[in-house]
Amino acid sequence: MKKIIGVLIVIGLFGSGCVKRAPSPGITDSEILIGNVQDLSGPMKELGAIIPNGSNMYFEYINDQGGVHGRSIKMLIEDHQYNPQKAVVAIKKLIEKDQVFCMFQVIGTSPCEAIRPILAETGTPLIAPATNSGTMSDLTKQAGDLIFHTDTGYDRQAEILVDHIMEKNSDAKIGLVYQDDDYGQNVLLGISRAESKYGVTVQKESYQRGAVDFKGQTMNLLKGGLTDVIIAGIVREPVVIMKTAEAMNFKPNFYGTGPTIDARVGKMAGSAGEGFTATNWSYMWNSDYPGPKLYRDLCEKYDIPQPYIGLYHYYGFATAMVLVEGLNRAGKNLTRNSLIKGLESFNEWESGTFPPITYNRNDHAGVDKVQLVQMQNGEQVVISDWLE
Amino acid sequence: MKDRYDHENIYWIPILIIFVFLLPLILKGISFSYKYYLFVLNLAGIYIILNVGLDLLSGFTGLVSLGHAAFLAVGAYTSAIMVDQLGVPFSLSLILSPVIVGLFGFIIGFPALRISGMYLGLTTMGFGFIVKRIIISFRDWTQGSAGLEVSSPVLFGYTIKSDLDNYYLIYTFVIVAIIIGRRIATSKIGRSFMAIRDSEQAAEASGINLSQYKMLAFFISGLFAGFAGVLFAHTSSFISTDHFDILLSIYFIIMVLVGGASSIYGAVLGSLFIVLLDNLFVPLIEDQIQLLFNTQAGDIQSLIFGLIMFLFIIFQPMGLYGMWLKMRIYWKLFPFNPRQRFT
Amino acid sequence: MPDLIIDNLTMRFSGLVALDEVSFSVKNNEIFSLIGPNGSGKTTLFNCINGFNKPQNGKIYFNGDNLLGKKAHRIIHSGISRTFQNVQNIPFMTILDNILLGANSRIDALDTLKRCVSRDQRKTEESMALEIMDFLGMANYEQKFMMGQPFAIQKLAEIARALVSKPKLILLDEPAAGMNDQETREIANIIRDIRDELGVTVLLVEHDMNLVMSISDRICVLESGKILALGKPNVVKDDPKVIESYLGEPLDA
Repeated sequence: MKKIIGVLIVIGLFGSGCVKRAPSPGITDSEILIGNVQDLSGPMKELGAIIPNGSNMYFEYINDQGGVHGRSIKMLIEDHQYNPQKAVVAIKKLIEKDQVFCMFQVIGTSPCEAIRPILAETGTPLIAPATNSGTMSDLTKQAGDLIFHTDTGYDRQAEILVDHIMEKNSDAKIGLVYQDDDYGQNVLLGISRAESKYGVTVQKESYQRGAVDFKGQTMNLLKGGLTDVIIAGIVREPVVIMKTAEAMNFKPNFYGTGPTIDARVGKMAGSAGEGFTATNWSYMWNSDYPGPKLYRDLCEKYDIPQPYIGLYHYYGFATAMVLVEGLNRAGKNLTRNSLIKGLESFNEWESGTFPPITYNRNDHAGVDKVQLVQMQNGEQVVISDWLE
Repeated sequence: MKDRYDHENIYWIPILIIFVFLLPLILKGISFSYKYYLFVLNLAGIYIILNVGLDLLSGFTGLVSLGHAAFLAVGAYTSAIMVDQLGVPFSLSLILSPVIVGLFGFIIGFPALRISGMYLGLTTMGFGFIVKRIIISFRDWTQGSAGLEVSSPVLFGYTIKSDLDNYYLIYTFVIVAIIIGRRIATSKIGRSFMAIRDSEQAAEASGINLSQYKMLAFFISGLFAGFAGVLFAHTSSFISTDHFDILLSIYFIIMVLVGGASSIYGAVLGSLFIVLLDNLFVPLIEDQIQLLFNTQAGDIQSLIFGLIMFLFIIFQPMGLYGMWLKMRIYWKLFPFNPRQRFT
Repeated sequence: MPDLIIDNLTMRFSGLVALDEVSFSVKNNEIFSLIGPNGSGKTTLFNCINGFNKPQNGKIYFNGDNLLGKKAHRIIHSGISRTFQNVQNIPFMTILDNILLGANSRIDALDTLKRCVSRDQRKTEESMALEIMDFLGMANYEQKFMMGQPFAIQKLAEIARALVSKPKLILLDEPAAGMNDQETREIANIIRDIRDELGVTVLLVEHDMNLVMSISDRICVLESGKILALGKPNVVKDDPKVIESYLGEPLDA
């Protein structure tokens, strides 16, 4: 008897998953369902909760104003633990089971790469993948026409950093510490372009994702007699490298790409982090542009807890604006195709949070410039114009 | 002497096979999101093939392997490179890649001649890390850690692309793997494996060459893992080193243990149980938690897995299959002596 | 013509002399018993014959073959099988499978392949075991799991496993240990049957003196690795040295 009840429960659970929806997936008269896959319990779990919270804040703001063409936005979040296999399963669930309209902000380069076949097969667009990898805007790759990238690619960031260094000091000896994965590979691509441009050789040191000890790499950099070092890491890596270097009395200028813009880098590194320069592809969240101002107002309005407020939360907010604008332009009769058309009509669109974004049939790259942000007396200070 | 097989009931086997082949149609009938269920079942199918091999190695022979994700990786990458870069047809790769993984198993088998138990587990785990490094360093072939796109399987001129096609491809091989696994387990080889696990002395006195059979166990296990790897690479279209981390190897061991070590059906049940739990029930629970408490459930999956492991080892060391056997005996004897235990 | 020749065998375990220049021979179709106090080297001698231990000195010949150069798993191919003092069975296999384990040397790779496709091979294999089980009177136990079986059955299964390989010589290490009187008498009958009906030479280690005296053709008494006495049961039984060191008091035959 118990067994039979068990079987009935199982059937019931299966059955509950198959509520009939409207033929156009994820769209009803009152709701737009979108999917998001974050790292909620893996190596980047701090970001996993913060970024979508920022997006949800903007969606709530839009929904409170009546939604997009009368439809409110609802976001489902799945966990992939920074594992591409789990990302594939999660995406499959969101698209086939929950029937989401589009994917938004999937975090991590390898997860994003792994889900390309499913995006292509189902024709689901992916807006604002949360990775700076330049490969995301490569239209020749599978599902390239369905992915709309917002961030400046790591390769561009690295190139711009080398430009900046060479401009300051044409005799600079440059070193690079990179994470030996797709992130690092994308940085290396930009570095090798810069190497051939200036005819210099960059000393390259790699580390494994999750490494905590960088004595070997720092020692090698010291031996190379470098003046400038670019760190393609996340948060812990630049902190540990700069502290190790300080202990060795090795004081080059440190630069960082991508996620090193996190304010925690400077705070945790303390005196060693003074002068650390990172690349930033959006207006600073605490600056006086209209986007950041709206952001801070909304944070107050929706009672966002203090630890959430900052760069990543703001990033989630900023990318949500891109999606909402795309949905707006897609019009009342919303389909996946009309969303893509709407996004491709962006021409120097000024969101107030990102520099002007242009999308068209041959360009899904979004922002392609950065500004440099330096740690000065424990504060992040913008030290350059927008560099291309 | 009476003939023992005249009374053996084997009619359920063809019925089960027909059910397996009708299942997608049933799912399609009852659920709008049948593609997701098929996808999960495909994953389970691949794991079943691998776990049948792992069970022969770890369950039967008692040689613990924490490197089976690496076996899977070697199979997947070998096939991806052979098919996409060397132009070997998929059908040929389906034979060659498992053999290559089997030979890899041989190499890993060497330490097993000297060490056993936890130390062997650690050694095979180390092998997993080495394989990952090797895959990353052969960047020209594997594109390093960026991952590799893999073409869809082509069999007899037909490209297998949709989830449904994949299902039939994978489950054909699942059935073949179960049958072969059963045949191996009940033959001289299977008996020798168990003898090596439980009493090396008795095994040796019965004429079993210990080192030969231990190597054979690794080879056979490698064959199964290679098969699983080929199917994995070509049905999921994208592989990267992140797929094959140490956690996956541990999941495989959990699957075998939960199913019941040293029974092929146990490996099958365990794989299905864990994969379905992981992909259908854990999200359900997470959704409920999100609904009730309005917060992200976070890492509830590890919690559930740990709990299951714990409960199974304490209350049901024979696993799901052992549970089934007990139940069967209970019903068979029902009004009389219902307390009879499975001994 | 002696069947098994032990010649001048010496086995030392880092200083401890387990066997000290032991020499004797076992004739074809004989029940030959080894007795002696614990630690006198009986099991070590078995392990030497069986290939588990490599003696430092001496020779072992079986039907003209030198056994000492052989690996343990090859010994069974020379026609020698054995049981263990502490029962060595595979608990999670059926009794039938446990017994079939002993038939490994009779099943080659081709048979194993054949088994994958035809049921006949499986029947042939199992009939080997069933034959022996009938012989030992345990026919109803074939599908039972070894785990949880009574000790007597486990002992019998082990003997069956040793017999299924069709050996010429079987080494029985304390087959009656832990058995009651009734079971011991059955074991005695079985050992006689093994010799008389199957024509297998038996080398027996046993502590139960009544059993040993009633079935043995010859007895060898070991003490501290040395042969104390060797001969027919009634001669050994009355040997004063044996009485003093092992039997304690004269046995009533």
